Order: sequence, then C-alpha cells, then structure tokens
Amino acid sequence: MRALAPRRWPLALRVPLLITLLMIGIAGAISKLVLVRLEATQATHFEELSGAYLDGLSTALLPAMIRRDPWEAFDALDRSRARYRGVGALRVLVVLPDGTVLAASDPVRHPLGAAAPSEAGPAPLHLAPGAATAWIHRAVSEGGMPVGRIAAEVDVTALATERRATLLALVGVNAALTVLFAILGWLLVRRMLRPVLRLSERLGRAAEGRLDPIPEAELPAADTEAGRAFRRYNAAAAAIAEREALLTRLAEEERRALVGRYASAMAHEVNNPLGGLFNAVRMIQRHGDDPERRQRAASLLERGLTGIHNIVRASLILWRGESDARPVSAADIDDLRLLIESEARRRELVLDWQQGIEGSFPAPAQAVRQIALNLLLNACAASPPGGRVTVRAGVAAGTLTLVVADEGPGLPGHARRLLLDGREEQVPQAGGLGLWTVARLVRELDASVHLAGPPGSHVTIRIPDAERSANLPAAA
Amino acid sequence: MRRTALPARRRLCRRTLLAAPVALAAPQALAARSVTLGLTPVFLDSDIVLVRQIEGHISARLGRPVQVVKRRTYREVTSLLVAGQLDAAWICGYPFVQHRDALEILAVPLYRGEPLYRAYLIARQDRGAATLAELRGDLHAFSDPDSNSGFLVTSAMLAELGTAPGAFFTRSFFTYGHRNVIRAVAAGLAQSGSVDGYVWDVMADLEPALVGATRVVQASAPMGFPPFATSRQSDPGLARAIRDALLTMPETADGRDILATLRLDGFVTGSPGLFDGIAALSRRARAAG
Repeated sequence: MRALAPRRWPLALRVPLLITLLMIGIAGAISKLVLVRLEATQATHFEELSGAYLDGLSTALLPAMIRRDPWEAFDALDRSRARYRGVGALRVLVVLPDGTVLAASDPVRHPLGAAAPSEAGPAPLHLAPGAATAWIHRAVSEGGMPVGRIAAEVDVTALATERRATLLALVGVNAALTVLFAILGWLLVRRMLRPVLRLSERLGRAAEGRLDPIPEAELPAADTEAGRAFRRYNAAAAAIAEREALLTRLAEEERRALVGRYASAMAHEVNNPLGGLFNAVRMIQRHGDDPERRQRAASLLERGLTGIHNIVRASLILWRGESDARPVSAADIDDLRLLIESEARRRELVLDWQQGIEGSFPAPAQAVRQIALNLLLNACAASPPGGRVTVRAGVAAGTLTLVVADEGPGLPGHARRLLLDGREEQVPQAGGLGLWTVARLVRELDASVHLAGPPGSHVTIRIPDAERSANLPAAA
Repeated sequence: MRRTALPARRRLCRRTLLAAPVALAAPQALAARSVTLGLTPVFLDSDIVLVRQIEGHISARLGRPVQVVKRRTYREVTSLLVAGQLDAAWICGYPFVQHRDALEILAVPLYRGEPLYRAYLIARQDRGAATLAELRGDLHAFSDPDSNSGFLVTSAMLAELGTAPGAFFTRSFFTYGHRNVIRAVAAGLAQSGSVDGYVWDVMADLEPALVGATRVVQASAPMGFPPFATSRQSDPGLARAIRDALLTMPETADGRDILATLRLDGFVTGSPGLFDGIAALSRRARAAG
C-alpha cells in the first residue's frame, strides 16, 4: 500500500494530476459563477417580458373586465395567444374581484364563474430553479377600483434548457481544457524532467559499477540547472573512475607484492635442495664408477629437481597475467599447497588439506586461487605456532565451497565487515590488502561468505557456477 | 299581404317618376356624396378584402363611391339604417320584422338556390345532446340580441317549452358574431350556442378544424335569409340602383368573386312575406316574456 502512496508517484504523473485537479476546481467555480449570473439575468429578462405581456393583456382586457363580458375577455385572450406566442403562456385566467373566473385561455379547465385555482392567487413573482412553470400576476383597476386580476402560468422550461445547455457547454469546454492542460503539463514535465531522468538512469548504472561520464556534446548549457547538474555528475564520475583506477592499481600492486614474497619463498625452497643436488653432483664426480652410489646420487638429483620443478610450476601458474579465466581445477588448489607449505613449515603449523574437486569447476581459476591463497596466508599469519590450518575444497549442487579455518584469535571486526558485506570500499591503511582483495573477488564472482569463530576463524566461501550466474562479469 | 303589396306599387311609381331625373342629375349629384352600406360581421375573421370587393362592385355599378359602414352589433346598424344614416344595409330578418314599417327590402341572397336559411343549436362535438331540452343548465352563447338565428329562434323555442333563456341556461352571453358563437362553443367557453346555419355551414368548409369541434344539436325550419334593406325614406333611385347592383352581381366577374367568397348563388328581390316566419317567432317570444 505504501508503494501506492501519492508522494511515491512519478512527477510526470503528479504534476498533470495536480493541474487537472486545479482546473476542475477553477472550472467548477467559474461554472457556478456563470450559472448564477445567467439565472439572475434570466430572472430579470423574465420579469421584464412578463411585465410587458401583462401590460398588453391588461390593456386589451380592461374594457371587458369593467363590463364583466366573458366573451370579450375570452376573445382578447384568444387573440393574444398568437401575438404573445414567445411568452410561452400555458394558461391565462381573468379573475374577478370575487375570485371567480371571467375568462380563461382554457375554458374547459377553468369554466366561466368557477373559482380560480389557488396557485393563480396573487403572489410575488418567483422563478424557482428547476420548475417547469411560473405564475405571473397583474392586478387590474380602473379609477382606483379593482376590476379583477390577470394570472398566467408561463412555461419556463426554455430558461432551464438554456441553463442546462450553458452548463453542458461549460462542462464540455472545461473538460476539454482540463484534458488539454493535463496533456500539456505531462509533456512539459516530461521535457523538464528529461535531464533529471537521464541523470537518474546514469546513477542507476553506477550501482552496477559503471558510471560513464556524459559526452560533452550532450551537455546542456552550463548556465542552466540541468547543465550544472550534468557537469557535477561528470565531475563525480571522473572522481569515481579515478578512485576505481587507483583501487585496481593497488590490487595489482598487492598481487605483485604477493608474487615478490613468494619469489623469495620460492628461492628459499629452490635453495634448500640445491645443497643436496651439489652433494649428489659431487658424489657422481667422486664415486661415479660405483653404480650404487651413482644411482643414489641420480635419485637425489631427480627428487631435488622434481621439488624445484614443482615450485617453479606453481609460481608460474600464480602469475599468468590478467586473462587467465580458465575453469578452476583440482591442480589449482593443490598447487597452493606447494606454495603455502614452506610458510606453514616456517611457522610450525599443521596443514589439514582436503580437496574434493573432480575435473574442473566453471569459475575463473586465478580469482579462486587468489581468494584461497590470501585466506591461507591470513590463516597462517593468525595461527599460533603448532596450530592447525584446515583447508577444504569441494563441489556440491553447482557450488564450489572453499573452507579455510585456523586456530588463531579470530577475525577482527573490520575484517569481518569487509568480508561479509563486500562493500567496504575504503582501502585498509594498515596491514595487507589480502582480505580486501578477497572481498573484491568475492563480489566479482557473486560468491557468498560465511564466517564462524572465535575460537579460531572459520571462513566459508561459496562460489556459484559462473555459467549459471548472470551477474558474473564476462570472462573473455 | 296587403301591406307588402303597397310599397311595391309605390316603388314602381317612384321608379317610373324618378328614373329620368335621377339619370339626368346623376353625374353631379351622385358624385357629391358616398353611398353608405351597412354591414354586420359575417363569418370571416378578417373581412377587409370582402368589404373592399363589395365597395368596388357597388361603386362600379352606381358610378359613385361606396363606403361600407361596419358596426359591432345589429342594433347599431339597424338604428343607423332606420335613421337614414345608411343608404342600405345587410341586416338580419329579425331587425327587419321589428322595423318592417320603416324598412324596405332591396334584395335577398340566394343560398343553395333559395332565399332561405336555418338556425342551428350547436354544442361541442363530444356532447351527446339531440334536442334543446337537453341543453338545460348550460353556459350558452348567443350571437346578438337582435339576431334571428343567434337569439330569437332559441328564445322562441324556449318560450314553447314555457321557459326563457335566463331561466333555462345557467348563464348566457352575447358574442356579437356567429363566428364568435362557434369559437366560444369550440373552445369550451360556452357549452352550447345559437348560430346562423348558413354561417356554420360555410365555416365548416372554410375552417373545418374550428367548426369540427362543434356539432349541430338541432336545426330550425327554413326562414327568410338576412336581406339587404333600405330605409323607406331613402332615395328610391339610389335604392333601385343598389338593388340592380345586387341582382346583377352574378353577371360581373367581381360580383361572382363576392358571391363565391360568401358562398351565395345570387340575389332575388324577395318580399316581406319571406320573413313572416321570423315575425311569428318574434311574437311568440315576446308573448312569453
């Protein structure tokens, strides 16, 4: 019901509606005024017309009334009928002072000598609105002596018809004007609101992450309200784009930092077997003739080189460039283990690693790996020495579930908010960009985050099937 | 009958004696004064055309200007005629018998081939009455107190019934015109009326809507048609000239137009005896009241 409240209606509807209501009010007031004036004018004209009619009749009837001659009186009435047709007299009575009828225009209804009807009695002229007839009267006297009176019932439907026709004309014209003004209002408001709607539409797109500036050619003049609003919008769009670019650069730098950190880790990992490899080389040099020793040295060389190969492969996978959008596979998760093991070992942590991804899952491998790696690094950093870091990865019902848990003190509040609402735009000033990167990627993948703990920290990320999700950005 | 024969003879003598001098003196003497002809309302709502036609016809025949004088009542016309202020007049048979000694018949119109007409008692079309007796208590319209058909006949019939208009009818009034009687009855102003049968018949033809609202309750026996009369004191030569103009009316085009308008066939000289029936009615009515 609140959605139907008038204040929620669009301006393009409210303004024409308001105009319509105002017009109806004005039209009603004007119509009333016109009708009142018309009624007054009609009453005046009717009074004048009936006065002239009665003047003429009384002049013609006076001799007959003095002599009380019924035929002369009737003859005068009968002859006046055609002459005063415009008056619309329905019946006319000539009444003697004793109240009896001397003559009537309809002698059958009012016979000679019959008592005049009460409505024909002397009364001031009254033009009742809506009445079909009205009675008019004239007392007739001669030499100061009353000789009778004339009463006529006059058809006044023409007056009512004229009023009705006027009312209809007023209603018709006013309705047409109201509709015209409503349409004009609607068009004007639409035209006036067009810049606002354009801005609103562009701001709506901003919610989708796109805030395109309005081309210079489409900008209204700068000295108009719309022009100023459009320019302010463009300034805001430019500022936001700048910020987005900064954030992207920051994320890139974070990734590079991550790579740098693990380049050194990798060097360390590569360096460790190097001593053994040199020993094996020396062993071959010294005891190359001994097949047993040579074999052992060769085996050592192979293991060491395999370890170096694995580390190099994992590092290569971690940095493949922006366009790595292939589906994530079990190997991607397992590679992470190689990368994190040295960190875990350094911190004397126990890695509990279970991953149940079979084949591949349609989500960008690089993004998933980056999420997992950041969470793992965070978990390792938070865990006390000897702590356990648990990793679970699996696919069920079209969703990739990734769980990273540790036995640390749990996530601080700002980190929880960052992960949960995913809208923490402010780049953290202190600490790494790891969780911020996770939040950004989670948002991009339209994934959901579930947090548990303390004790410890238990982060569950559920990533939907990219092919089923319409909201996932196109991964070309 | 003797009384009626004498004036005829006298008229012949006068005609013989005066014919030559009148004919000789006519150009100057007759040109000096208009001939006045009295007329009472007939049946036309507006008879100005008829009046002009009559003036034109008589004037052409006499070689003198003719002026038609109209009055509202029979009495006014009769009085003017008897007083010699009119040279001739078309009067009703009743005033003629009332002033038989002073008046002389010039010519009597022929209606449907006879110098006769009837009086009608009329009522509204929806009225079922068939006799005068059934009209008792009515509002009754008479034409004129000096009209034979418009008053005398009904009065005489009521006298036969042993009553009089004032007692028989609730109320009665005079409309001073046979056409008005028909209008009064048709409109319902009067419930019944006494009217000239000739006027009613002609109007039935001219104004069927008006006359159709009325019906004849009772018709009288034929009586002498209202005559053109002149005063016995008037100029016999002029009287003869007027009579000739009337008698020769069918012979001229304008005369035939007048007769056609009046729905008359022509004129005959007539005789006072033609009005004996009216005289008898007059006596009967006078005797009753």
